[in-house]
Amino acid sequence: MAFLQRLGRFPASFVLPAVLVLAAIVAFPTVYLLYLSLRHWVIIEPLRYFDGVGNFARVLRSPDFWNSARVTFLYIVSTSMATLVLGMGLALSLNRTFFLRGVVRALVVLPLLIPPIVSGFAWKFLLNREIGVLGSYLLPAIGVKASLLADPHLALFSVVIADMWSRTSFMFLILIAALQSIPAELYEAARIDGASVLQEFRHVTLPLLVPAIVIGLIFRSIEAVNTFDLIYVMTQGGPGTATMTLSIYGWKVAFTSFDIGRGAAIAVMMLIATVVGTTALIRRIRR
Amino acid sequence: MRRPARKRLKWGHAFVTVYLAIYLVFVLFPIVWLVLGSLKSRYEALLVPPKLLFRPTFLAFDKILSGGLLHVFGNSLSIGLANVALAMLLGIPAAYGLSRMRGAARDNIAFWILSIRMAPAFGLVIPIYALMRGLHLLDTLPAVIVAHLTINLPLAVWLLLSYFDELPEDMEEAALIDGASRMQALTRVILPLSGPMLVAVALLVFVFSWNEFLFAFILTSSRAQTVPALIASLAGTMNFDWPLMSAISVAALVPAFIVVFLAQRSITEGLTMGAIK
Amino acid sequence: MRTTVRRIVLMLAVALTGLAMAQTEIRVISFSQGFAFPDLFGTSGTEKTDILKQFEQANDIKVAIEWGDEASVRQKVLTDLISGGGRYDVILLGSDGAVQTYGYAGFLEPLESYLATGDYDQYIDMNDVFPSIKEANTVDGHLYGLSYYAFGPGIIYRTDLFQKYGVEVPTTIPELETALQQLKDGLAKDGITDVYPLTMRGAPGEEPTLDLAGFVYAMVGYPAWFEGGAVTPDQIRESKAKPIFTGDFKPGFAEFVKLAREYGPPGIATHTWVDMMNIYSQGKAAVLLPSAINGYAALTSTENTTVLDNSDFAPIVVGPTGKPVESFWSFSFGINKASKHKADAMKVLAFLTGERSLQEFANRTQWPSVPFESVMKSQVLVDKWGAEEVALNAEAMANANPKYFPYIPELSDFMDRIGTAASKAISTGDVDGALNDLQAWALQRMQLAGYYK
Repeated sequence: MAFLQRLGRFPASFVLPAVLVLAAIVAFPTVYLLYLSLRHWVIIEPLRYFDGVGNFARVLRSPDFWNSARVTFLYIVSTSMATLVLGMGLALSLNRTFFLRGVVRALVVLPLLIPPIVSGFAWKFLLNREIGVLGSYLLPAIGVKASLLADPHLALFSVVIADMWSRTSFMFLILIAALQSIPAELYEAARIDGASVLQEFRHVTLPLLVPAIVIGLIFRSIEAVNTFDLIYVMTQGGPGTATMTLSIYGWKVAFTSFDIGRGAAIAVMMLIATVVGTTALIRRIRR
Repeated sequence: MRRPARKRLKWGHAFVTVYLAIYLVFVLFPIVWLVLGSLKSRYEALLVPPKLLFRPTFLAFDKILSGGLLHVFGNSLSIGLANVALAMLLGIPAAYGLSRMRGAARDNIAFWILSIRMAPAFGLVIPIYALMRGLHLLDTLPAVIVAHLTINLPLAVWLLLSYFDELPEDMEEAALIDGASRMQALTRVILPLSGPMLVAVALLVFVFSWNEFLFAFILTSSRAQTVPALIASLAGTMNFDWPLMSAISVAALVPAFIVVFLAQRSITEGLTMGAIK
Repeated sequence: MRTTVRRIVLMLAVALTGLAMAQTEIRVISFSQGFAFPDLFGTSGTEKTDILKQFEQANDIKVAIEWGDEASVRQKVLTDLISGGGRYDVILLGSDGAVQTYGYAGFLEPLESYLATGDYDQYIDMNDVFPSIKEANTVDGHLYGLSYYAFGPGIIYRTDLFQKYGVEVPTTIPELETALQQLKDGLAKDGITDVYPLTMRGAPGEEPTLDLAGFVYAMVGYPAWFEGGAVTPDQIRESKAKPIFTGDFKPGFAEFVKLAREYGPPGIATHTWVDMMNIYSQGKAAVLLPSAINGYAALTSTENTTVLDNSDFAPIVVGPTGKPVESFWSFSFGINKASKHKADAMKVLAFLTGERSLQEFANRTQWPSVPFESVMKSQVLVDKWGAEEVALNAEAMANANPKYFPYIPELSDFMDRIGTAASKAISTGDVDGALNDLQAWALQRMQLAGYYK
């Protein structure tokens, strides 16, 4: 009775609706995913059976998995850092009022409004070494003659550039909202104390932006892990397996090898890794 | 309040201008190329060097209007708006509640909400499909809206949570002492101070739903098809209508640009703490 | 009281009539929205044309169609098939994995018995279908699919460039190499750096495998994937045929990689059919092979007059054994075994893949890649390409051996692996390394699947 009473009070009653809704939606799928990961279920095989950690073991033994893990790690780190830096630069630049600021801000957000599959194709065509405006015309003119999408060392770089182009505005929006809520008085105080621009940034702006940065990085990283269309369309995960991230690898296992169990295992492992990674990140920031 | 002019501002301005200029070129180059492509034929759109003087053809845009593809835009719009509404309705109270909570419960619940976002999409496809099928919700807008909420709600909660954390509690407490309920404290004290973040969250939620492909595709057929799903199905095998794909993207861009332009005006300084002190 | 009763009776009558008139809904899933069946669903893919409506009324069937891109459709279809939902009645299949996998897994309804009844003759004449097409859609003795369009092997080349550099149209693989070398030297001498002798596809995944497997076949004269050229699960089990990717598979693989590296464009390791089409269409390649359909796609979308006026079709080259470099793929449709209206689904299937439909396809695309002999030789194609070229295409189609790769349930997996290995080999040059990895994987894969017990 008292418990129910407590439930009706703040803060429980405020938090409960969201929690219940989310729990209701993901309860079954999460359990089902776990169930699938413990089963041996390959479409083309008539036998399905409980396999325990069999799927997990097979995945961990597969060199493709480790390659994809490595690629994914590089990808996440590059694109998160890049979008953070660029997004920060944008937020700082577009913080103060100037003529046409509104237009510039809206323009800067445009790439975010384009579906990733279109961005992928756009960059694929632009960077194409044979007939791309950038790849075959503008870049060679300034000495860049490599095939950006087919060179094993450059393909990942190209994909990161495309992702950066598409997603920097995400960071920008988060950072500028946080930036705008820093009270002007704090800057005043700093200036009165004689702080330089850089010091102002380091001691006033940055500390207050840390929460937004952390959230931005976390969500950006999760999004990067889930990126499929952009990469698939640009390089198919290639050349070879140079850009085969875990999401592409997992997708192939489930839908090309028709190994549903193993695909689920990969998803579960990715989930665990993300949880662990995020916890570590949050702990570090909290110190 | 205006800041007194200083010499160092000149360097700052120069740097900012250069940075913005370069970034704008980076952002706009593909978009301009995309827009031009939507006005060209299949061959011309990909021609290198691109023809800057050409006779535009509106064939691609015609296909959108005449081809009964408008309802697809409507679907995307509905899903996006519904998500914004739900994310706000559920997320704002949740973020506020968590923000004012003490102890381990707060961190745990907040993390649990975040963890919902962490499951890789390809892993959830089959389970969520099974769920929606069981509920007979396939090819309905609610199915997609609900699926998107699992991504949007955690984002909304966490962004708002971090924001509410930064707001000092004295004003609410003053209001509570004056006899206001928590809900009133939220709506009358907190929300008016949260303009920029609310707008940012709304934009991010809308944009995510607008662009989301995987669930929108798997859970729908033709009635509830969304814009990204439509574009993807044009990436045919043995058939590739790039002008049409570009045209659809451009058609979606124009209203979105207007919305963003209008919305970002709310993300300005002086709307928050500065005003109340 | 009486009026209420009357009203109820009236309502019941209406409801019952409605029930009686309830149409069966047949759900189709396909890719290429706007390209496939525009005569039925419009160029948007979401309308219903008069032709379709006529069919629906005549047969009391409602046809609903869903679209996606190839990868996504595969996901959707698979999700439906494994949930046994029977959501889709008519499913798009590719002959490079789906037909085999779904066929062997028992998800598809065999079609022979339906066709044998003669009930569908008004839509489709099976005698008019090229035997190779039927063969491509047959798994384990059962016909599981009917083709919308399909392609066989061929070469599309630039006659002007051949003339300019004194190149003869090759008929064998060595001649092909000579021709490509001549082109390469000639272009280099003229300082032309943006035109390449050859365009092929080398992106990871199943795409290059279709072409690569053709080279394998041509070089040793049989589908050299498993010992003794076993191509069905039974054959493999009987003779415990192990994979031979480091054996007879190698010559074809190496040849493909060599041609790609030496004569292909720099970006070939991630090129898909779209790139092949665009490159040829913009005049940046002299030869396109062996999937000639991509050349035709280029020719029907290009506006480059040089390319248009100077392109020709030649039969595909043969290997040392006299067998051609095959390349065969069919965009087929099949019936979901879990469908609740199979007979009606069969009607829709026949309607979608019959002569009428393909004639429309030919009229619209003008690609000589149709499964019916009558349509292949129809006036519109003859007018476009000339009787001789049409005849050559017909021959290529008729003589093609679609089973130039094994028809096993694991095919999809193999296609993806081999293509990815090719992409890797093309970009690094390490043929042996790629093949060793492939062999190791294949052995384990087949063992896991229980073939060698």
